[in-house]
Amino acid sequence: MLRIILQRLILLPILLILFSIIVFWLIQAPPGDFLTSYLATVASSGSSIDDAQVEAMKVQFGLDQPFHIQYLRWMENLLHGNLGLSLEYQLPNSQLIGERLLLTVILALLSFLFTWAIAIPAGIYSALHKNSILDYFFTIVNYFGVATPNFMLALILMWLAFSKFGVSITNLFSSNFIDAPWSWARVVDLAKHIWLPMIILGIAGTARLTRIMRANLLDELHKPYVVAARAKGLPEWKLIFRYPVRLALNPLISTIGWYLPQLFSGSLIVATVMNLPNIGPLLLHALTQQDMYLAGSILLIYCFLTIIGTLISDILLAWLDPRIRMEGA
Amino acid sequence: MRSSRRITPLAALGCFLILSLLLAGCGSTPTAMPTSTARPLPTAEPTIEVPKYAEAPILADEVKAGKLPPVDERLPENPLVEEAESIGTYGGTWRRGFLGPSDYNGYIRIVADSLLVFSPDGTQVLPKVAESYESSADFKTWTIHLRKGGKWSDGSPLTADDIMFWYVDVLNNKDLMPSVPSWMKNKDDGSTVQVAKVDDYTVSWTYHSPNTTWPLEIANKDNGDRSYPVFLPATYMKQFHTDYVDAAKLNQMVADAGFKTWAELFANKKNQAENPERPGTAAWIPTTAVGKEVMVMKRNPYYMGVDTAGNQLPYIDEVRMIYFADAASLNVAAIAGEFDEQERQINLMNYPVFKENEIKGMYKIITWPSFGGGDADISFNQTYAKDADLGKLLQTKDFRIAMSYAINRNAIKETAFMGLGEPRQPVPAPNHPFYPGDEYAKKYTEYDADKANQMLDAIGLDKKNADGIRLYPGTNKPVQIEISVVPAFGPWPDVAQLIAADWNKVGIQAIVQVRERALHFQMRASNDLQTEIWNQDTTGFPFTGNPKLDPRTAMSGGITVWPLNYTWYSTGGKEGMEPSADAKKIVELIDKARTVGGAEQAAVAQELFKLWVDNCYEIGTIGLTPMVQGVVVVSNNMMNVPTALGNDWPLRTPGNGKPETWYFKS
Repeated sequence: MLRIILQRLILLPILLILFSIIVFWLIQAPPGDFLTSYLATVASSGSSIDDAQVEAMKVQFGLDQPFHIQYLRWMENLLHGNLGLSLEYQLPNSQLIGERLLLTVILALLSFLFTWAIAIPAGIYSALHKNSILDYFFTIVNYFGVATPNFMLALILMWLAFSKFGVSITNLFSSNFIDAPWSWARVVDLAKHIWLPMIILGIAGTARLTRIMRANLLDELHKPYVVAARAKGLPEWKLIFRYPVRLALNPLISTIGWYLPQLFSGSLIVATVMNLPNIGPLLLHALTQQDMYLAGSILLIYCFLTIIGTLISDILLAWLDPRIRMEGA
Repeated sequence: MRSSRRITPLAALGCFLILSLLLAGCGSTPTAMPTSTARPLPTAEPTIEVPKYAEAPILADEVKAGKLPPVDERLPENPLVEEAESIGTYGGTWRRGFLGPSDYNGYIRIVADSLLVFSPDGTQVLPKVAESYESSADFKTWTIHLRKGGKWSDGSPLTADDIMFWYVDVLNNKDLMPSVPSWMKNKDDGSTVQVAKVDDYTVSWTYHSPNTTWPLEIANKDNGDRSYPVFLPATYMKQFHTDYVDAAKLNQMVADAGFKTWAELFANKKNQAENPERPGTAAWIPTTAVGKEVMVMKRNPYYMGVDTAGNQLPYIDEVRMIYFADAASLNVAAIAGEFDEQERQINLMNYPVFKENEIKGMYKIITWPSFGGGDADISFNQTYAKDADLGKLLQTKDFRIAMSYAINRNAIKETAFMGLGEPRQPVPAPNHPFYPGDEYAKKYTEYDADKANQMLDAIGLDKKNADGIRLYPGTNKPVQIEISVVPAFGPWPDVAQLIAADWNKVGIQAIVQVRERALHFQMRASNDLQTEIWNQDTTGFPFTGNPKLDPRTAMSGGITVWPLNYTWYSTGGKEGMEPSADAKKIVELIDKARTVGGAEQAAVAQELFKLWVDNCYEIGTIGLTPMVQGVVVVSNNMMNVPTALGNDWPLRTPGNGKPETWYFKS
């Protein structure tokens, strides 16, 4: 096991360098660069910039350099432990990401907890009471949950909230709390706003997890060991939770690994639609504006977390299910 | 329903104090102020020192606490007097939305922080930070006078040295400005225009040849588009300039800030929106950077403007621009009444929804139609080279005119522009001195498919294939034209589809290509576009900046009429395609207009627009709509917001509507 972990860790820097080249190239693959995006943006409000000014800005942003120099500039920064400067914000990328990190993680953790808190009991109930009325109810709700794109759900709920209650539920704070220092009042304000994005982000995952949990548990419930344990007189609840549920959870544990990068990125589209101050909109905007240092930094962290996340879920699985450890040895 | 504004007891007390001050003032001074800038001295008792000017309560507190000098000392000897519909009361926070650093000009437009500004209707250039300006009789020398005693927001004096610092240390520094912008170059030999300090408050520009565009240029030198303004706080900026600081120290600063060169650091530091420490002269000064969740701007205690009753402006204490990740969520917030005044990023397409929710959102909708031109115009590439037949056809004047007749503009107006605006060619608005007359504004705009068919037959496109598409003379090749369109800024994809359907009806097969804008821009520059839809918003200012009718305007800010002619001009005739006689004529007219003033300039402008319409290089569909930030959402208690306003980027709308005179009804 230890060997596997070490092997993976040694591979990590090589993978990251590979990813960094691909990421940097992909961001720059669309035509134009940050400056053309910027010129297009200003053109939309009737402005057009003098050639001399464009040239001055090219120098200012370092865009007069060829691709490999730009890449090396970025790498040089990374090796010194900083993520470089965002072209658009003219602020250190680490600061931009850092400012949004806390809220991103809070929101992702909450929606994660929401997903699990609903999905596991609902899945267990559905499996134990297969084809009951409540099972059908969960099934229908789940189908809706999986089939509705969550940004659509966000838009519908936003419109309902506005047209019925006259409130606009964008952002995670009321406008006067957005830049206020942390205080109890600000936490309360956050709590008032965060539940809706939490549900929207969690709902599709909840539906999916409930279905997986139900199917897995149904597979296990009729296996001979369950019948044997029941025949030996083990209390029903103890039996279900100690054996089949634990086994049914395995596939869910492997999804934790994917969850780590998601925790960091936030949801791109929902967060943009709802104007949530997390990392998602920052990434989306950096990509559309071709702010390659900012987008590259976020994507690289994303890659890093994906690798680490996969490693963690492998370790968790091995710990939770002794059979996997046997195979690994 | 959320109440849109809270009035704290302190603010209420402040307003009461101000009101009583005003009332007290009325007893001793004439109530009706003349429109002249001269202010009669209050007839005060000789023993009591009555302040000449009034100030905001929050500033009065700071004066009392000894943190600020009294208002009379903060204002220049001859402050800018700003007229507005009514005298306001101090206080409040103006809530707005913006889209982050790329929406930087949203901030620029509110403060309009420049030496000279455009009048609200956009027809005149008036002093702002500067006290006055004049030209010599031959328009070769322009002189600007600064306000004696005028100050930067940190209280340091603003003098001629602050303009000279820009000239000597920025414009003429190769690291900062690799090449001199065209407005600062002499037309004859390309040398840099001479700028000289006359005295502490006077600076003059001397051109080799007459130049009548100087005031319009100066009015736009305000940090817009992240460019350099013509006046910079020299004392502050010198600490980041290589000529004034020790190299080791500067390199350390550059490295600490994460930059590579001192020029990057300097450009960042000069920008108030990125560096709130940098002193400014606007009514509000940023206190947080543009990259934050909220960009906060607070009143500038040294702002040089007063209202007609002698109250120092602005009335509103603070501007809060809240960051939105995209324009759609900003629009939702606006519909919910979360802004006090917002026109930027308000989508014309949401106009009906805005009207529907006026009462619920406690706001009203004002429209500021565009300043002229057209809001969805189709331009024909005159240098298209990929297909010789098509290239020739696009150059055929009668073809372009036929294509204009073939468009049903009223259908476009009703479906795409919701009935706003009017069918017209890309010429200035009727109240503009450059307007060439109704005859030209409406020329070729009536829907006449029969006439279009006749004209197409007459130019040799009289054979059709089985699908009813016309064939190039003597071939079996159908006439196919691509309309490239960007799904942004306006209802352009819809307009393109309507035009394509109309053109198909007269036997010209039009294919609409909706493209991502960066790709569209790249294809425009590489001469790959056949026709495109864009707006023509530079007719109000055809002789300054980078007018879209000028073949010398770079493709990033132009329209697809002459891509290869631009190359020809920018390479001095070495590459590209030599311009046609008409293109050269346009360049000639623009250059001529830059050297003459008044009626003579207007005559040249009219000639230019007549030529433009006659040739149909760019055919207008609908114009004078509020498409470009002309739908204005104003909270019911925001006062003094003009109901009619010239709306264009050079005017810095709403900056030309004097936001510093806006206030909240208490």
